[in-house]
Amino acid sequence: MEPHYFFPPAHAYPLNRFLFALKSNDSVRAGYLADAETTAREAGLDSEAAAALRDLDRDRLVACGAHPYLVFMAGLRLRMAGTPAAFERF
Amino acid sequence: MPLVAAAALPHTPQLLVRPDTEDRDLVVRVHAACAEVKRALTDARPDVIAMIGGDHIEGFFLNAVPALAVFVGAEVSGTFDRYRYTFPVHEPLARAIVEQGIEGGFDLTYSQDLVLDYAFYVPLHFAMPEPPRPIVPLYVNVYLPPQPTPRRCYAWGQALRTILDARPERVALLASGGLSHYPGTDRYGSPDYEWDRQLLTILANGQGRQTASLTGDELDKAGNVELRTWITLLGALGEARARVICYEPSWHHGNAVVTWPV
Repeated sequence: MEPHYFFPPAHAYPLNRFLFALKSNDSVRAGYLADAETTAREAGLDSEAAAALRDLDRDRLVACGAHPYLVFMAGLRLRMAGTPAAFERF
Repeated sequence: MPLVAAAALPHTPQLLVRPDTEDRDLVVRVHAACAEVKRALTDARPDVIAMIGGDHIEGFFLNAVPALAVFVGAEVSGTFDRYRYTFPVHEPLARAIVEQGIEGGFDLTYSQDLVLDYAFYVPLHFAMPEPPRPIVPLYVNVYLPPQPTPRRCYAWGQALRTILDARPERVALLASGGLSHYPGTDRYGSPDYEWDRQLLTILANGQGRQTASLTGDELDKAGNVELRTWITLLGALGEARARVICYEPSWHHGNAVVTWPV
């Protein structure tokens, strides 16, 4: 059985690069929230990966070759950006 | 000089920024356990905090994936949400670790240009002693396979201890990570808490060496890929018996705070 944190397939590099930017780069995240379709296309995502990302569908993203951790943190940061008041900061 | 303190702490970002999915009482109990480490570190008066952490694909991306690395810059910074951290780095110690580590057979990567990962600053947010000390970030690859084997991590910890013991600085050696969790996978909501509890019993009995015999597959199955940072620390600690300050399993994460006598 493949490990949970599997070797990132080369074909998924554009998707993983974009998830990395979404989690770690505030301006990329803001750009995606403003215009998801254009930003994803310009990042080189194919239609399936772009659709899975739009739905924040973890399992579909992972099936596209996304690194699970990147899916997790990109999703968390997008939710934090969308509803900042829903989080308590210590 | 021998180590002056040793501890392992969790770094889950929900300890810093809590969504309403997280049990607030549990989060506060973990904070209290980290505060106990903070008091112990303050009492130990270290000159430097050497912290073994696993990068969450933040400092290192797929452009380069080092198994073991050391940050050797003047200072290091990281950000998360509205939090901004900058820590001075103890350059002489960091450089000695790289030079002597390579001399000792560990082909370490070093960097003077990294974004600091939250594996380092979340524990330091809660446990940095007063007054704050410079740090040395020590990286173990945990999330991008193929990761270093537990045996190699343990051996690196042994070598690290030899290096630190010969240094003039008072060093606190910390590990950041764990325990069981599976971020981004279909097991996110079902960590292996029984595995964690058995591990903590082994550590409390001073049998940490057993972790060197684990396999990468076993760590992945148990949601403990990050245990490589603990195993590295255990290599430095030998047969010391762990004191478990807390084990707080949330719905997705086994939060453990542990110290060892040194």
